Amino acid sequence: MRSVRFRITILYSTVLFVLAAVLVAALYLALLSTLRHEPSFTRLTDFAADFNGDGESQPNERLLITDLRGFERAANENTVENMREYALGALGVLFLVSLGVGWVISGRVLSPIGRITDVADHIQATDLSRRIELQGPHDELKRLADTFDGMLARLDAAFQVQSRFISDASHELRNPLAVIRTNVDVVLSDPNATPDDWRQTGLVVRRATDRMSRLVDDLFALARLESPNMRNDRLDLSALASEVAGDFEAVAGGKDVTISKDLGVPLPVAGDGDALKRALANLLDNAVKFAPTGSPVTVSAGRMDGWAWVALRDHGEGISAEDQIRIFDRFWRKDRSRSRSSGGSGLGLSIVRGIAELHSGFVRVSSRPGRGAVFVLWLPMLDEPADEHPPDWMPGVSGAGPARQVPA
Amino acid sequence: MRILVVEDEHDLASAVAKGLRREGYAVDVSYDGDDALGKVMVNSYDLVCLDVNLPKLNGRALARRLRSGDIATPEGASPRILMLTALDEPEDRVAGLDDGADDYLAKPFDFSELTARIRALLRRDAGRSGVVLQSGTLKLDTRRHSATRCDAALRLSPKEFALLHYFMSRPDEVLSQEELLEHVWDENADPFTKTVRVTVMTLRRKLQRDGLPQPIETVVGSGYRLLGAA
Repeated sequence: MRSVRFRITILYSTVLFVLAAVLVAALYLALLSTLRHEPSFTRLTDFAADFNGDGESQPNERLLITDLRGFERAANENTVENMREYALGALGVLFLVSLGVGWVISGRVLSPIGRITDVADHIQATDLSRRIELQGPHDELKRLADTFDGMLARLDAAFQVQSRFISDASHELRNPLAVIRTNVDVVLSDPNATPDDWRQTGLVVRRATDRMSRLVDDLFALARLESPNMRNDRLDLSALASEVAGDFEAVAGGKDVTISKDLGVPLPVAGDGDALKRALANLLDNAVKFAPTGSPVTVSAGRMDGWAWVALRDHGEGISAEDQIRIFDRFWRKDRSRSRSSGGSGLGLSIVRGIAELHSGFVRVSSRPGRGAVFVLWLPMLDEPADEHPPDWMPGVSGAGPARQVPA
Repeated sequence: MRILVVEDEHDLASAVAKGLRREGYAVDVSYDGDDALGKVMVNSYDLVCLDVNLPKLNGRALARRLRSGDIATPEGASPRILMLTALDEPEDRVAGLDDGADDYLAKPFDFSELTARIRALLRRDAGRSGVVLQSGTLKLDTRRHSATRCDAALRLSPKEFALLHYFMSRPDEVLSQEELLEHVWDENADPFTKTVRVTVMTLRRKLQRDGLPQPIETVVGSGYRLLGAA
């Protein structure tokens, strides 16, 4: 019996009882003292002890008065005695009634808490679809229940995103696994397999494991974005872009793609150097991948209205308007076969978006089919006041179509 | 038996095709849904191994179109569909089967399980339930890939085995050269060569036993027939 309901009932009844007892005791004592100090017959003694009207108060008349006083005192004492008994009885009844009333009222007031507890009790991590949906007046408990419902909705959404992601990731890992398994099974079950068959199988298995390694790397990169230990160093965005462009020169040269740099002044920003380099590398990797042989990829950087930007432009086949909305989604690919042969995990741009968001920045894309694409990474400049959003401007783009911004 | 493998992972498609060819099936490969649809309309397949996530036309849509009947297949054939996919949630299986798949196998799979399921699906067409087909004195074990006549083993090449398998799943039916070419050879076979006639001839020679009638007879002007009683 240590419930809040029980304690509230006891407390309420006790307080009420004590207050009532004090009130009754005060009334009783006041009455008592009044009666003792000022009997009604005192005044009578002064002017009415002359019953026969002879102008004098005779001894027998005083005797009568004395009797009357005695009678009055006895009557008063009797009344006070009765009153005390009734009051004590009433106090007892009051205590019992207040216990009952307190029990019922506290039960009614506390019943939403019971409902909240029941729902919380039934919710499991896998099923967050239940809500309290408390009805009634907009009071403290309703607000508590609504807050709880809001929290459940956010948790539910987060869990769904998570499980969707896990199912996508396992799906992506199953394909290379199936490639390995089937190729190995087929060559193992062939009694006449030649060394060349084994070699072919080995090459296929290596391709598949390379793909899985890249996918696992990207999954780790995404997971790391959610961990709190990102660095917050003072960095030069322009120098980072130059460094990443240098790393890609060999890859681009193999495809006869030239990387031209237009980086200009230092751009101080705050952030994690490795993460920002990864974001720029993912963007540049895409640009080089989709650039036609012999075409240039331009890496430029600059500043505007308190924001620093790095733009990566290719002259590839471009991205249609409806695809521009989806390219930042996890595991999205335009053409799965082509992306696989070029080694994409489908996570590159979602990693870029995650890194930009972590740095309070934005990625924007502008493209028209057949006219190439421009990706711009915007980050707020260090020590400079900036608007909430970077300026609505695409570096070096004229008539490339409206820019799409992520996060929108 | 002719199979179409529809799979956009080239490394997986080629391994499945190679393994199935070794099992004696005639196998064609498509890397996307549109191409598969074109092939199904031109060639008569006994079975289609279908991936779900395909470029251009996805596997579920392809299965629905195959089952809807508005696709003109040769001889009105309706191939068995085995869905082969990385989507392994119960709801994915239900959706795939409801779209018209006859069976569903999740990646990664055991190759021997794949071939067992294919055998089981093809048996349904033949109206037989065992892995061993029997017709008169002929016995054919589809799992061990062995055939016997009067309990004496026959040494058959994969193509001859596949041909005998097709004959034995349709005993007493007259099968034209075109039909045999359609179901036992893949799309790389040249329809103008005598390959069917030559293979039937060598098969008949291997089936010949002294004192017993030849089980495969020529129906002049129509094709060949396996005599169920021989």
